[in-house]
Amino acid sequence: MAEYELDCLGEACPVPLVKTENKLKELAVGDTLIVIIDHSCALKNVPEWARKQNYDVEVEEIGDGEYEIFIDKTA
Amino acid sequence: MSEEAVKVITEEPSDASSRIEAEPSSGRSSRRSSRRSAERKPKKDQTIYGLGVLAIVIAVGVYLAAAISAVMGIFWVTGIAFGFILRRTNFCFTASMRDPIMTGSTSLTRAVLIAFAITSIGFAAIQYGAFTTGLPVPGMGFVVPISFATAAGAFMFGIGMVLAGGCASGTLMRIGEGYGMQLLSIVFFVLGSFWAARDMGWWTLNFISNGPRIHLPDVFGWGGAIFVQLLIIGLLYMAADKWENRKQDQES
Repeated sequence: MAEYELDCLGEACPVPLVKTENKLKELAVGDTLIVIIDHSCALKNVPEWARKQNYDVEVEEIGDGEYEIFIDKTA
Repeated sequence: MSEEAVKVITEEPSDASSRIEAEPSSGRSSRRSSRRSAERKPKKDQTIYGLGVLAIVIAVGVYLAAAISAVMGIFWVTGIAFGFILRRTNFCFTASMRDPIMTGSTSLTRAVLIAFAITSIGFAAIQYGAFTTGLPVPGMGFVVPISFATAAGAFMFGIGMVLAGGCASGTLMRIGEGYGMQLLSIVFFVLGSFWAARDMGWWTLNFISNGPRIHLPDVFGWGGAIFVQLLIIGLLYMAADKWENRKQDQES
C-alpha cells in the first residue's frame, strides 16, 4: 500500500497524463499515486483516463488552481 | 491489506463518479491529502477579489458602451463570458482533437460538435435574415478558398497547439488563470502570427487563391445547406460516440 507522488506542477496538458500512465505501470496493485497538477486541462483528462482504466480516482483542490489527483491502482 | 483497501474494493461495483459523492457517508474520510499539502498554508478566501474584479468588469463595460461604441461593450462582455466558460468547464479545443487519440475520450470532441451545430444554426439565421431583406450577407469575407493549404495549415496548427498546451483561446484563458508557462506560449504564438502575416501575401498568391470558394447555401440552397451541415456534424457526433465506447470495450 505504498503511496507515490508525481509532481506535475507547471507541466502543460498532455505531459501530466503521459507521466501518470508511465508511473502507474511501475506501481504494484494496491498502491496509490498522487498526481499534483495545476493545468486545468489535466484536471479533466487525467481523472477521465484513470476512471476508464477502472481505477479509483479522487480529486482535491489543495490550493488556488492546484489539485491533487489520487489514483488507487485497483487492478 | 488494510481495512481501507478492503472497503474500497467492496464499494467498487458502483462507478467511480458516484463513489466520490457517496464518500462522506461511507465512514472513510474523503479529505485525504498528501504530506505536501499538510504543510501548505490554507487557501485564501478570494471572494473579495472576485467582487472587485466583477465591479471593474462592469465599470469598463459601461465605459466602453457609453464612451466608445455599443459594439465594443458587447465584445467586452462576450469575451469575458467566453473566457469564464472556458475556464469553468475545462473546455479546450486542443483536448477535443487530442484526447480521442491519447485517452480515447471524446466528451470534449462532442461538446465542440454541439457548439458547431448551434453556431451553424445561429449563423444561418443571421445570414438568411440579411439575404431575405436584401442586405449584404454578413460574414462573406470569411468565405475563403479551400485547398490543400487549409489541411496542411490545420495539421501544423494541431502539432503546435498540442506542444504549447493550448490553442489561442486556451492559451489566453490560462494566462488569465495565472499559468506562467503559457505566457511563453503566447509570446511565440504572436511571433509566429507576425511571421505568417508577413508571408501571407505570397502564400495567398501562390497557393491559397487557387482553391475554390464554397459558400454552402450557393450549392445546396439555404435549407439544404443547413441540413447538410447538421447532417455532417451529426454523423461526426455519432462517430465520436462510437469511438469512445469502442475504446472502452477494448480496454476493460
